[in-house]
Amino acid sequence: MATPGQLMFARRLGPTARLLIWLAVGVSCVVVDVRYHALDGLRSGFSVLLLPVREMMRAPSDVAAELGGFFTRHRLLQNERDALLAERARLAIGANAAQELVRENTELRALLQMQTRPGQQVVHAALLYQGHDWFAQRITLDQGDQAGLHSGLPVVDASGLVGQVSRVYPGSSEVTLVSSPEQLTPVFVERTGQRGLAAGSGRGQMELRYMPTHADIRPGDRLLTSGIDRVYPAGVPVARVSGVSRPQSSPYLRVECVPLAGLDRSRAVLVLVAVPQLALPQAARPRATSP
Amino acid sequence: MSTAPQTIGGWRRILASLTLALLLEQLPWSGWALALRPDFVLVGVLFWVLHQPARIGFGVAFFVGLLADFQQGEVFGQHAIAYVIGVYLVLFLRLRLLQFDPLRQAAQLFPILFAVQLIVLLVGWLAVKPPTGLAVLLPALSNTLLWLVIAGWLRLWHGKGLQDRA
Repeated sequence: MATPGQLMFARRLGPTARLLIWLAVGVSCVVVDVRYHALDGLRSGFSVLLLPVREMMRAPSDVAAELGGFFTRHRLLQNERDALLAERARLAIGANAAQELVRENTELRALLQMQTRPGQQVVHAALLYQGHDWFAQRITLDQGDQAGLHSGLPVVDASGLVGQVSRVYPGSSEVTLVSSPEQLTPVFVERTGQRGLAAGSGRGQMELRYMPTHADIRPGDRLLTSGIDRVYPAGVPVARVSGVSRPQSSPYLRVECVPLAGLDRSRAVLVLVAVPQLALPQAARPRATSP
Repeated sequence: MSTAPQTIGGWRRILASLTLALLLEQLPWSGWALALRPDFVLVGVLFWVLHQPARIGFGVAFFVGLLADFQQGEVFGQHAIAYVIGVYLVLFLRLRLLQFDPLRQAAQLFPILFAVQLIVLLVGWLAVKPPTGLAVLLPALSNTLLWLVIAGWLRLWHGKGLQDRA
């Protein structure tokens, strides 16, 4: 019978009618978003709304990391410092040689009247948020279009390629990781120079697609970006081959790889912003990686 | 006869709990904790739909669903549709659900929470692309556990049976 909270003659729509109305709204949302990409404004709005909240909620883990770092043993730090000093001395020699090479290279390029590589400018960014990776593996960074980011830029960390900026909001941006399914990266095998296409296969793994069965590839080979797509700079480490097998059903090798970048570990990354240079005539531009 | 327990859940408490759920989701989760992270906002909304259907309903569920879509969805509308269907199922089984103790209530909620995750999976699959695995169904388990914890805590807090106090 009618309880105090319930009208005896309901004037409101019943739950089923309301469900149908909201379902219609939901389906139209899906269609508008997939077909017409018309909801990017809503995405930006949510990102602006959530940015301060996420900045704030990052604090507890930062404090925990600070405390953990504070109690690191003194001896450990001293060892690390000695190792770093030795490393720095070694790198300084390499840097001198590299400077010499850069100078020589510029001269040679000037002689050949070739366009030099576009200058790289980097934007430091930190991991802000990570969502469930059910459909695509993405992370959110704390730098957005104020820092000059736009979609398509490569993102790297100290050990390799992390991914590509896929959406940019005011104050934050989304990066699709290299291990995300359907995310393709043109690579070449460091040992043999053979080019190929690396694709994410989900769960943090990658695979090298369309390698003919006679290709020379072994577990342990490193894959570097080939640079032929003009998106990623050439020579950035991407992955290491972890297993090679020949399935009976496919004309291609099955090559499994593990990404080199700390996709689930790094908290600080670099976004490579290419500075467009003066357009020189592109005729007669032999590239080391051209087919 | 179980009547609507109007004694718990003023506006202040509803807003505070939903805000807390939202904040918990913004923590930087990673690794296994992320894969098993319960959907705090969904459980919060369904809880209030069960106990305060006049205040929290389809509209709120749809809006927080859009928010979840921004965070972890492939397309806008994916979680919104799933949450709205979850609300409908809870409303449909409401009088029945209110009669059970926390453990049985959680057991009855499991199919609903599972259906919600399944709809998220299906809508994303149909609209955009196949998912990377069935990990999307994992939060149904953790959501059920979270529900058990909340219902059990509420039982302890309010003494025996909410519906007796109405």
